[in-house]
Parts: sequence; structure tokens; C-alpha cells
Amino acid sequence: MSETSAAPLVSIEGLKMYFPIHAGLFRRHVGDIKAVDDISLEIFEGETLGLVGESGCGKSTVGRATLRLYDITAGSITIDGTNTSKINQADLRRFRPRMQMIFQDPQGSLNPRMNVADIVGEPLDEHMSLSRDERLARIHELLDAVGLNRSFANRYPHEFSGGQRQRIGIARALALNPKFIVCDEPISALDVSIQAQVVNLLEDLQKKFGLTYLFISHDLSMVHHIADRVAVMYLGKIVELAPRDQLFNSPLHPYTQALLSAVPEPNPARQNTRVHIVLKGDVPSPSDPPAGCNFCTRCPKAIDICHHLEPQTIEIEPGRFAACHLLESATKVA
Amino acid sequence: MFNYTIRRLLLAVPTLLLISFLIFLLLDLAPSDPTANLPLTIPPEVREKIRISLGLGEAFHIRFLLWCKQFFYNETLNILEQWWGWDFGGDRLRVLSWQTRSPVVDTIVQRIPQTLWVVGMSYVVGILIAVPIGIVSAYKQYSWFDQVGTFVSMVGYSVPTFFTGVLVIVIFSVWLGWFPSIYDTTLVVNDWSSFVQQVKQMIMPVSVLALYNAAQISRFMRASMLDNLNQDYVRTARAKGIRERSVILVHVLRNSLIPVVTVIALGVPQVFGGAIITEQVFKVNGLGQLLIIAIQAGDVPTVQTLTFIFAFLIVFFNLIADVLYGILDPRIRYD
Amino acid sequence: MKALLLGAAAIMAMASPTLAERGSDGELKIIYWQAPSTMNPYLSGGTKELEAASLVLEPLARYDEGGNMVAWLAEDIPTVGNGGVSADLKTITWKLKEGLLWSDGSKVTADDAVFTWKYCSHPEGGCAQSEKYNDVTNVEALDALTVKVTFGVSKPFPYGPFVGAQAPLLQAAQFADCLGTKAPECTDANFGPIGTGAYKVTEFRPNDVISLAANTHYRDPAKPAFATVTFKGGGDAAAAGRSVLETGEFDYAWNMQLAPEVLAGMQAGGKGETVSAFGTLVERIMINMTNPDPALGDERATAKHPHPFLSDINVRKALSMAIDRDLLVEIGYGDTGKPSCNVLPAPEIYKSTANDGCLVQDVEGAKKLLTEAGWVPGADGIRQKDGVRLSLLFQSSTNAVRQDFQALIKQWWGDIGVETELRNIDASVFFGGDPGSPDTFQKFFADVEMYANNFDGTDPESYMANWECKQAPRPETQWQGNNMPRYCSEDYDALVAEMAKTGDLQERARLAKAMNDKLMQEYIILPLVDRGRVSARSNALGGVVMNAWDSELWNAADWYRVK
Ligand SMILES: Nc1ncnc2c1ncn2[C@@H]1O[C@H](COP(=O)(O)OP(=O)(O)OP(=O)(O)O)[C@@H](O)[C@H]1O
Ligand code: SF4
Ligand SMILES: [Mg+2]
Repeated sequence: MSETSAAPLVSIEGLKMYFPIHAGLFRRHVGDIKAVDDISLEIFEGETLGLVGESGCGKSTVGRATLRLYDITAGSITIDGTNTSKINQADLRRFRPRMQMIFQDPQGSLNPRMNVADIVGEPLDEHMSLSRDERLARIHELLDAVGLNRSFANRYPHEFSGGQRQRIGIARALALNPKFIVCDEPISALDVSIQAQVVNLLEDLQKKFGLTYLFISHDLSMVHHIADRVAVMYLGKIVELAPRDQLFNSPLHPYTQALLSAVPEPNPARQNTRVHIVLKGDVPSPSDPPAGCNFCTRCPKAIDICHHLEPQTIEIEPGRFAACHLLESATKVA
Repeated sequence: MFNYTIRRLLLAVPTLLLISFLIFLLLDLAPSDPTANLPLTIPPEVREKIRISLGLGEAFHIRFLLWCKQFFYNETLNILEQWWGWDFGGDRLRVLSWQTRSPVVDTIVQRIPQTLWVVGMSYVVGILIAVPIGIVSAYKQYSWFDQVGTFVSMVGYSVPTFFTGVLVIVIFSVWLGWFPSIYDTTLVVNDWSSFVQQVKQMIMPVSVLALYNAAQISRFMRASMLDNLNQDYVRTARAKGIRERSVILVHVLRNSLIPVVTVIALGVPQVFGGAIITEQVFKVNGLGQLLIIAIQAGDVPTVQTLTFIFAFLIVFFNLIADVLYGILDPRIRYD
Repeated sequence: MKALLLGAAAIMAMASPTLAERGSDGELKIIYWQAPSTMNPYLSGGTKELEAASLVLEPLARYDEGGNMVAWLAEDIPTVGNGGVSADLKTITWKLKEGLLWSDGSKVTADDAVFTWKYCSHPEGGCAQSEKYNDVTNVEALDALTVKVTFGVSKPFPYGPFVGAQAPLLQAAQFADCLGTKAPECTDANFGPIGTGAYKVTEFRPNDVISLAANTHYRDPAKPAFATVTFKGGGDAAAAGRSVLETGEFDYAWNMQLAPEVLAGMQAGGKGETVSAFGTLVERIMINMTNPDPALGDERATAKHPHPFLSDINVRKALSMAIDRDLLVEIGYGDTGKPSCNVLPAPEIYKSTANDGCLVQDVEGAKKLLTEAGWVPGADGIRQKDGVRLSLLFQSSTNAVRQDFQALIKQWWGDIGVETELRNIDASVFFGGDPGSPDTFQKFFADVEMYANNFDGTDPESYMANWECKQAPRPETQWQGNNMPRYCSEDYDALVAEMAKTGDLQERARLAKAMNDKLMQEYIILPLVDRGRVSARSNALGGVVMNAWDSELWNAADWYRVK
């Protein structure tokens, strides 16, 4: 993994995405859902950054906000040297070809009234001026790339299986030769037997086209398989970010530890010795996060200070970041 | 699709026969007397004679079969004769109204124009207003436009047309004197001034009804748009870098229109059913008024024929709606 | 001779109020909120059809606004006196006016009358007006203009056939193939009958609108003043009233059944006015002459037990004197009612003036009368005599106006020391006539009761016979009968019998008045309000004479545009 030396393709700083809550007769603004609350990360060219966390912790929001599918609340996003965080949606269209997204639900993300050729070809129409033949040739090329039969071009999404649909989604994302693709749980809606095929396809395409992925998933073993580095999210914040092997072998943050303890261990010897950490209670609402550390309501190791003071993200080792009071003291002690 | 349509059409025949039988049965069971509205000074013996002259002396099944013959056979031949100038000869008794003693079908044909003009136009106008309002309301959900739209459609939907009708009459006919309060069904449009007159007399009933229709359809449009706006494919479209206009008009609208179009198709029979209340309020005297008067007068042949035609239209437009759905939504295939 | 006739016609024309020529006043717009279904009155008994048809079809004689019979297509009214009615009252011979033409230009003859009778008396025709031709055994044409009607029984009132809007003349030529079961198939004839009236149908849209044009063959060359008539139907009374009184779109609106204050509000617009006519519908209080005490069991409210205090005429009279009829009219009916002191308020020749004293309320007089008769106030203020208290049960049907009336009357009777308990009964029960129910107006298990009643046409013979002794409802008749007060007087019964065999109109009028006066002066019935029918006319329409006895449009030939 030599990417660390390369320049970051994507860098996010202090990203916040709040969804306003309106209530009452006049729909007054009474609060915010803090879906993403002040996160920073960098993604290097050619790498795959895995983003994991429980359902509802804000992973998709991070992905969408990064691509500016939302107007973000605060923070800056720089992609391929362009700061996209302030550009308005209309002007942003110019930059869309560079950054694409593959969605979780392969069915819902395809317009049911468009056939495959139109779905894949629409971005071509929008951003390039191709002749009919060129357009068709490009569509076929893309279908070939994702392993779909060319004759499927005139079919509608509902005529395909889940895996095939996800391939259509991938072909569509690839149409404009993007550099950066957000894969938002691209396989979680698929059959286990097909998941591997799609992940392999993504890996092949990454090699072939030199793509950079933000790979969102709640499936730790899949992240283990595909990611170079992994970020762990809890309640709108990144609690730990580290190269894959370090994170999986020696998780630092109590939340990461709990997450990993739930993953089935392929090695039975280790399986026996491992303690299964069960988290109690529910995830607090993102509209009303606890004071102090966001994890303090469920953290088995929480100490007093956790309830008052928010832990800072610190670089424990080069390339390893975590936000936990325990680690602060550990580094101090060390 | 073709086979499906044919199959549905074939199935419609027994359905409609059954419906016509049920209507006849219900009308027969309902306590209505064609002589009930006559002045009390007409003695019971005379009433009995009138009833017998109307054919009420016959048994139920004879009367039903007679109606079937008159309606399905005699009237059909009659229509063929009129359209193609054929002559089948013979003396055929048509379905006669008990009130007017004249062929029901002729009266219906006479009334279709005013019903279609007023009620049909209000439907078209209603749709034309409702679709854009629904789109904007959904796109700008909770904006003041949406709030006003919600309020207006709530009013349009919940305030009965006899109220809005009388209200506009009082304002625009009585106070302002702009429009006639009574619709002239005999008006023939043949020049500019009669056209203006026709427009003037249509404005009030059409807008009252259009408000009502628009209220319903715009709510539908809005809900359907909202459904689709939150779909992933919309996000996909935006991620593709498509213009917002195209996202809304091509992706979202085309999908949202599917249920709306079928709802609109299903509503068409109501247009033929006329708008009983609005027709009464503005004296349009279309099919709705024909039905209500026939019911009040216990005029069974008219009620039977009209309700059967409505039933036919409902069955027919259900089929149309299904076929439209199949055409518009590639996910649906009937064969 | 011809010149003379023409001259006479010219003078007539000049004498007419408009001095106009036919068709010079443009369009007449009439609205009936119930739309006519046909123009053939013999196929529909409905008022709306009769009235619409009356613009086109005419009878031999009809009734004017006073309920008097006037010759219309006939030369004059046949009577026993002029020999037109036979002495045995079994035949009547009509003579048609000369020179009458149908609107198609053909001559009107006696054969048309013969045909009309055949048309309506055909056993399979279902003629709605066959009652008008009751007992007719033959109608024959004595010559081209003379029609003789023969009855199977003696008819003191032989003016059923061919009289009034219900029995006009049809053209034999047009309806020849429309007899019996064929009647409904003649749609063209039923929708556009050829008539002698001032107008002829140009288009008939059933239950919607009728277009008519002036009849070029109408007998008066100066009439009608209007060239065309649009007769619109449908809607409701308020809308029809509005179109005449408020927007002025229409000239004439029929039957304004609206609350007095609504009508007054509409008239404030100043575009038109209501016109009313009064027939025979009288809101009245019936006095129970028998004792309704439940303790009497089966003999309750029967002639066996006279009423303990209402059999005293002074009490009945005092009850009548205490009522302010003007106030009742004002509150309940406005323009559509007027105070009445007769149970037979009309037609004009039958109307008695002997009882008009009731128009003035006289509470003091009533008190004095009761005191003099020995009814003196007890400790509770209620008058009594020999232990009998003047305490009444007053019943009526459930109806807002009636309950207002009951409350007012209770108060007035209280003022003279009579106690009143009020009761109202659902109309379907009250008038339902179910012998099993104790609450019908016939059983009359109360002391007084209030409702309205009238009779059809202008002849009161059978109406006045209602109060014959034998008409009293009682267990033997399953409580059927029209004599609610259970009034029983030999003198009265004699008058009824005499009328049944009297043919002369004046004599019949004398007898009817005598019966009315007897009922009034014995205070058996306390009439309250004469209820009329009301229509609306625009200020721009002249010549309207409202008529309760015939079609409201009876004189539409004389209507004209006020300029
Ligand atoms: N458009 C929106 N409006 C309001 N709240 C939103 C919106 N989108 C997401 N949220 C809220 O933000 C929080 C994070 O949502 P997000 O979809 O990012 O979670 P996630 O981690 O992707 O979960 P999952 O694994 O279930 O996909 C949730 O509480 C969600 O309810
Ligand atoms: S800061 Fe405290 S509560 Fe938060 S993770 Fe560390 S120990 Fe747990
Ligand atoms: Mg998600």
C-alpha cells in the first residue's frame, strides 16, 4: 500500500450535514438532525476507503454530501483540486462526470421507465456530444465492461436480476470516465452468491480505470476484503480511521472493538479467546446527541469525563486516527 | 396486450349483463312509484291504469327481458339505421321513458353535448390546473405555494359545489351581473357573439367544477411526485449531472404521471355521469340532472338505461386505465 | 259583413293595452324550477306539464282568477238556464266559437272534442285526466261546431270534460294514430301538440327547455305580443326567483316556495315582484265535539260522549276570538298567506263575508263571553265551571311553522284563562291514517288539532260534504272519514243533500255558503290562514293575472313587454 505517499484525490474537512426539523402549525425550525457532524478525511488516488458503521450513523449522508448531492451545512470538500463545497448545483454539473455514485438499491436507483441504453446513455447525452453510432458504441463498451450482454440494451430494469441491475448501475456510473466513485453499500441488497461477483467486478474496474472508491458498507468482512483503509462512523462522527490490517488486528476505539467482536472469526483458535462485547441500549437520536463523547451512553469503558467533554481526533500512530479520551491518556502516558 | 384487451372485453359482456340485471332488480325492489308525484287529486283507480299502461302489470322477468330486447337489440338496430342510413324495416319499440313517453336514448343523445361541454371541459381545465400545481407543490414541499395549494384544494374538495355554485352566482350574476345564472342549452354557437355568450355561460359552472376536480387531481399529482422525488433514481439522475428541469420533467414527472393518468382515466365516466349538483345549480340540464329527475319521478326505464350506460363506461374506462398503465409502465406486462 | 268583422277586430286590437301587433315584443322568458316532461297533459298529471301545455292547448272553458268559469273556445257556458244543460242534468251541449283554427291552419271542429274524449277514455291509454271524463257515456258532434256530452248519471256539475287546463282539446288529425297503447309512441305529437293557443312549440327538450313561437293562426290577430317564448325548466325555487327578482334574466318564475324573509330579500332588488293567488287551502283548527278522555276506552272520541266543555259554543267562540290571525300570517307565510274566516274561502262566488269579524283579535271580548257563560277563573287562573277546568290538549303535525303557531295560540288562550298542552306528531304518522295508531288526525285523541286542507278544482260540493254526520271517523269505519270534529247536524246534512241535486250555479253557491257559515258560526272549525301560491314576475312583464284555479299561464296571450 503505497498510496499514502500519493496526493489526496478527495479531501474533506469539517463536513457537517444537518437536516432541519420543522414542526408545529407553521412548521417552525425546531432543531436539526445532525446526520454528519464535523468529519474530516482524505482519500488518495487509486485507493479504496471503506466507511463502516451501524445503520443510520450517517454513512450514506457522507457519501452524498461528498458528491454534493446535498447542499452541505458546513465544511469544505476538495475533489481533484477543485473545492466543490460552495459551487451551486447548476455549475456543479460540469464537475459531475469526475465523481459518480453507485447506489445501494439497484432497483430503486434505476428509472423504471427508461431502458438500459437510455439509462447508461443519458449522461453521455448530457455531457458529451456523440453521434448516434458513437453513443451506441460507448453503451456497448460499457455493457461489456460490466459483463452484461449487449442485447440487453433495449430492456427495462425490471427485466433484470438484482446483480444485473447493479451492473447496469455500475455501467451508468462509469459512462463519463469518473475518477472517484462513491459506492454506497453496492452489494448489501444482493444475494450472497452474487455479492462476490460484483465486488470482484468493482476491483477489476478499479485496476482497469484507476478508480478511487469511497466504499460504504456495514459488512465488515466485505470491507476487510476490498478496502485499503477503513473509517468507522458512529452517530455522525468518525471515531477511528486506520489502514485496514491495523484496524482489524488491533482496533483502538472501544466502538470499533465492539464492532469487530461481532464479526465471525475465521480462525477458531482466536474465536475462542475473543470476548464478545455486547453493546447495550439504543443509538441516541442524531437530533439530540449526548453531551461529551457521542458513544458515552453505550461505551463499556466510559469514564467520567466522557460525559462532559468531547474527545478530539488524534493521530495515535502515523496514519491511525481515533477519538477517545482513553486513548488521549494512553498517548500521554506513552 | 392485444389478447389481454380482447379477453377483458369478452369478460365484460357477462359482467355488464349481470350488472344490468342487478340494477333492474334493485330498481324493482326500491319503493318507487311513477305516479307518486302526481297531484293528490288524481284518484287511485286512474293511477293504477297509468301504471298498467306503463307495463308495470307484467312480471319482473318479462319486464327485464323486454328492456334487454329494447335496449340491446332495438336500440342497436336504431343506431345502425341512423348512422348508416340502413333500413331494417319493422316496427321496433324503443326504451321509452315513463315521464316523457319518448325514447330515453334520444333524450340522452340530446343531453350529451351540454354535459360534455360543461362537465368535460371542467375536467380538462381541472387537469390542466392540477398537474402543474401538483408538480410545483411537491417540488417545493411546504413552501408557501404548497401551503396555499393545500389550502385551496382542501377548500375545493370539502366545500360542496352547491355552496360554491350559489356563491359565484350571487357574486358574478346578482352583484356584478357579468354572467348569466341560468345556462341556455338551446344556444347555438355560430358566430362570434354567440361564442362569447357560450363562454360566458360556461365560465361559472366550469370553474366551480374545475376547482373541485383540480383539488382532487392536484393532491394525487403531488403525492405521486413526492413518492418519486424521494426515489433513488432521482438521486441517480442528479448524480449523472442532468439539468434539474430534466430531472423533474423527464424522470420524476414521467413516473409520477403513471398513477395520475390512470386515475384521470377512471374519472372519465363521472364526466358522463354529469355533475348532478352543479348541473342543478346552474340549470345545465345534462345527464346528471336527467338521472336525478328520473329517480325522483320513479322513471325506471330512464334510470335503468342511464345507470347501465354509466356502468358500461366504468367497466370500459377501467379497461382503458389498465391498458394505459401497461403502456406507460414497462414493468407491467399483461400477456 | 266581413268588413264589419274586420272593423270589430281592429277596434278590439286597439282596445288591447299594448296596442301592439303580434310578435312585436320579442322574447318572453319563463322559468319553472320543475321541468316539464311532456306537452301532453293527458299523459302526465303533473302541474308543470299542465301549465306548459296551457300555452298551446286550450279547453272549451276555463276559470278566471276569481274561480269563475269563462267560455274559452266555446261561445258561452252551457247552463240549465240557457238550455245548454238538460233538465235531468245528464247532458251538456257546447258550442264552439266560429272561425277557430289550429296552429297548422286547419279548422277546429266538434270532431276534435269527440276525439279528445276517445283519447282520454281509451282503457289502455293510461290517461292521467280520465277523472275529468268520469261518467261520460258518449260525446258526439251534432254539427261542425256543436258537441254534446252525455253522462250516465245526473251531474249537477257537468263541467269536467273540456274544462280547465287538465282537459284541453287535442287535434284529432295529429293524434289519430295515438290511441290506447300507441299513445306513448307518438313522441312528436306529445312533445309538439298542435293547439289553438297563442303559442306553438318549435322545439321541446324533455325536462329541460321548451322553445315556442307565436301562433300565426291565433284567433286574436294582435296577440300574442311576444314573438317567441323560452320556457326553461330545472333548478330550485330560490334560483328561479333569483333569475327574475335579482338578475332579471327571466320574466316569470313559477312557484316561489320560499321563506317570507328570503322572498322579501329578493324583491328588495327592485327588478320584479311576487304575484300570489289564493285557492282553497286553509290552515285551520278543528274542534273535537266529542270527549277524547282515555278513561272512556273504546268509546273515546265518539259521538256517544259529547266534549265536557268544547260542546259549549261560548268556549269555542272565545277560543276563536283570542286568536290574532294577522300575526300568524306575518310570522308563518308572509305574502303567501292571508287571514281567513272561512273554511271555504274561494272561489269568489262561494266566499262568505258573514264571518269577517274573526279578523280582529278580541281578548277582552273573549274573557267577557266566558265569564258571562259561567266560566270563571279558579285559584290557578284557569277558568272553570262545575269542576270542569278549561284545559286543552292541542295537537298538530311536526312542522316549524305549525309549532310556532301552536306556541302563539297557547299564549293567547292562556291570556283568556284557558290552559293548553301542546303536542306535535310526525306528519307521516299524523296523516298516515293507520287505524292502529292512536296519533292520527282522524282518531283525534285530543281536544283541538291543526292542519291544512283544500279541494281540487272550483266545485266545493264534495268538500262541504266532509262535515256530514256520517263522515265522522269512528271505530265502525276503521276511523276513516273526513268529519274530524264529529259534527252532527240534521240541518247541515240537509244542505249537503240539496246541493247534490241542484244544478244551478248561483243556487249551488248559496248552499255552499250556507254550509260554510253554519260551520263558522257554530265555531266547529276555526279557520286561520288562507294559503296561496306565489310566483314572481319581472317589472318588464305586463298582463300577468295570477290564477289559482287554472294554469298560471292561462292568459299568457295577453302578456306584454312593459317599456
Ligand atoms: N434527507 C433527509 N432528511 C432528514 N433526515 C435524513 C435525511 N437523510 C438522512 N437523514 C437522517 O440522517 C441520519 C443518517 O442517515 P444515513 O442515510 O446517512 O444513514 P446510513 O448510515 O446510511 O444508514 P443505512 O446503513 O441504514 O443506510 C438518519 O438518522 C436519517 O434518518
Ligand atoms: S471517549 Fe469515553 S465514551 Fe467515548 S469511546 Fe472513549 S471511553 Fe468510550
Ligand atoms: Mg445508507
